[in-house]
Amino acid sequence: MFNNFASKAIVPVALSLTGFVIVCSFFLYSAIKEDFMRNAVRQETSLADTVVRSTRYTMMTDDRESLCQVIDSIGAQEGIEHLRIFNKEGVIMFSSQSGELNQVVDKTTAGCIECHSGSEPKVRLGSMQLARHFVNARNHSVLAITAPIYNDEHCSAGDCHFHPAHQKVLGTLDIGLSTDSMDSCLLALRWKMTAFCLMVLILSVGGVSALLKRNLLLPIDQLIDYVKKVSGGKLDNDFPKGIREIETLGQIYLDMASEKDLAETELKKIRKADNMSNGKGE
Amino acid sequence: MFLRRKQRQSQHLAPDGVVPGPDLRRKEIQDRIRYLKKQINYGKLWMALFFLVSLGAVVDFRFLPPISEKTRQLLGGSPPTSLISVALIVYAFSALILILGHMNTGPRRFRGWSHIGYLSAFYLFYYYAGVLRDNFWPVFIAGLTILGLENYRVWSGCSEAIREEEKILTSLKK
Repeated sequence: MFNNFASKAIVPVALSLTGFVIVCSFFLYSAIKEDFMRNAVRQETSLADTVVRSTRYTMMTDDRESLCQVIDSIGAQEGIEHLRIFNKEGVIMFSSQSGELNQVVDKTTAGCIECHSGSEPKVRLGSMQLARHFVNARNHSVLAITAPIYNDEHCSAGDCHFHPAHQKVLGTLDIGLSTDSMDSCLLALRWKMTAFCLMVLILSVGGVSALLKRNLLLPIDQLIDYVKKVSGGKLDNDFPKGIREIETLGQIYLDMASEKDLAETELKKIRKADNMSNGKGE
Repeated sequence: MFLRRKQRQSQHLAPDGVVPGPDLRRKEIQDRIRYLKKQINYGKLWMALFFLVSLGAVVDFRFLPPISEKTRQLLGGSPPTSLISVALIVYAFSALILILGHMNTGPRRFRGWSHIGYLSAFYLFYYYAGVLRDNFWPVFIAGLTILGLENYRVWSGCSEAIREEEKILTSLKK
């Protein structure tokens, strides 16, 4: 089955190319996915920062009604799955979903455990550590950020509500965005990469096969036909031309066949002369 | 004529210059055929071993005891995942090039055992970094390609040699 020239040349090339292209595609896809995710987290962090800054004044003045309005308005935007602010004890004080109000957040869940894993909660984390990716109760894929609201001199010295200066974190803003659009982008990318891989493979394997057939297999077949013809006694220089090695082989075979033919003719002549001299002697 | 030349080439002279008898020649050829068949079977065995290691990797080596904090402190932090991935690509590329190079010139011996070691090391690196689940398929496909190509190389070279030896054996029996 794999005994012919074509399969011996094409199978290794096809196998190594297919495997290597697939491995590289996997890594390319995961690198692109990671970039997408990093970018989404950066945007979300920036959005969380905007929300904290825009609600700062209402917090300073302890204007809870305005703060609720701001949270509701932002939370009603398309793509925002949840927006909540909880205090240092983990009680949800403000939320875009009114049913969540006054509930206590479990500190062992994703998004909280990153800071609360040790005996002392961590005060600062990298942006990627603040993010978490999960599927919510509405079966939506969500990328959420928990951004701490830090204490500053205005808060600790404010007139409205006093926070001691040593308290570093006042509460946490938790915002979750739907990743549906990113997921559909990644799905499209996956299909495009699969199609690209297939095209590369078909082109390279097909190209190698076509070139081999045109430049090697066909001349070899012609050379075999020529050798058969010469073996049958038809001496002409009709061997395949255009490829040096094949031409040389054809020429060598023609020379050999010519020499053999000449030798046979000479032998015949000698035998004939022998027979004649033997006949005279008798 | 070709066969006779082949026979002459493969004829081994005894130390004292005496040509060995047909029985000894037959035995030598049969030994060589056995050796070549063994090489083909080695390939299958190593492939099976790789599947076994991959089976362990696909379940995230759950059967292994978890790495303790002490061991982690001793070994230090894992290299970044991107660096492991780049190493895997470089390894797969060079392994494939080497095997393709051995197709024409290399021995017919199966040399896939070292690849099993490298591939298992990649599984272990990803496992230690805690990202084996995400990176299982690239390692598996790289292994399948490398070992598949190595098996093909050994199988095609050995099958050809077995055919040649069998031809000589048949001509000796006549």
